[in-house]
Amino acid sequence: MNITVSILLFGGLFFFTGGCIGILRFPDFYSRLHPAGKLDTMGLFLSMTALALYSLGGFSIGEILNGIKIMMIVAFVFITSPTATHAIVDAGVRAGFEPWKKHK
Amino acid sequence: MKIIGLIAVFLCGCLLVYGASDFPGWGDPSSPASTHVSPYYIETTMEFTHVPNIVTSVLADYRGYDTMYETTVIFGAGIACFLLLRVVKKKDPVSRLYRHKATGITLRIKKGGKIPDKSNAFERIDSEWVPYDLIIQISCRLLVPLIQIFALYVIAHGHYSPGGGFQGGVILAASIILIAISYDLRSALKIMSERASAFLSAIGVFIYAGTGALCLLLGANFLDYAALDSLLGSGMVMARSHGILIVEIGVGIAVMAVMICLYYNLSSEGKQDEGL
Repeated sequence: MNITVSILLFGGLFFFTGGCIGILRFPDFYSRLHPAGKLDTMGLFLSMTALALYSLGGFSIGEILNGIKIMMIVAFVFITSPTATHAIVDAGVRAGFEPWKKHK
Repeated sequence: MKIIGLIAVFLCGCLLVYGASDFPGWGDPSSPASTHVSPYYIETTMEFTHVPNIVTSVLADYRGYDTMYETTVIFGAGIACFLLLRVVKKKDPVSRLYRHKATGITLRIKKGGKIPDKSNAFERIDSEWVPYDLIIQISCRLLVPLIQIFALYVIAHGHYSPGGGFQGGVILAASIILIAISYDLRSALKIMSERASAFLSAIGVFIYAGTGALCLLLGANFLDYAALDSLLGSGMVMARSHGILIVEIGVGIAVMAVMICLYYNLSSEGKQDEGL
């Protein structure tokens, strides 16, 4: 159990790190939102699954409820994070940001 | 001038560090703060109030006066924002925009012009209107009931875990404000009118102070919830616990209504005609 939890946690950290590097390194507004929206959601999914598994110590009702609550966080982030990214991109298009191109 | 400011800030910082050197250590069991009052709360909260979350019992029972005036301060903030920002004298805008839903044609109807009120083919739009985004509206509509359930959970669960009236009230207000952001101000006003928000903010404070006055009428001290036992019939200790819940509900209602009132006035510059 502990090994599974640590593998999931490190996987989550890997995605979070990728998201951070992506936000810093990508060239323009739209491509920066790509790691911000996707990798954070995936990293959160993996790390929260790890926490839910970790809290399932003896499979009592309270522990199972704790796990369900943690997984509900993931469900809500799955709905809200892409919506927020969509809204920001929409606002960016309306504000007139040009997408980045390699050859100008 | 900048150098003088820097020197003054530096001297103040040195004074603060010098003053802080006399403080007891972090978590020191023999410091004055943790020798007199805190052990009393920690040891007797469960026995007297039957509330496992000591913070809630201190907030709403041991220091009930403090929290009552905090709620009153929030109410006062709402009233102040209303008095400062609200444009009471209604000036009709020079023209209003109506959009034909099927074709997307926008009509500008000047003052005195006939407004197509009855037909469903037209909808009124703000002057800074952008096309509604279906994804954002649907996901906000999906989330609002869940946010409200969570807010009620936070209010009701303040006895057992972090939470209570202030936090739950703010989350409730956030659900209404989310509607105002994803749709427009008029749809939020249809759900919760300005009159209702003003009324509820007063009701919330009234529930808090009224509970205290009820205790006074029942022959105990102001805000001594043990007196509610004769009404609730659940024993002195559980009466304190229920009294805390009643008061937290009052705080939640007041905070929610004041937050919504503040948002309405700030987002529409007090006109509450059109806005975010």
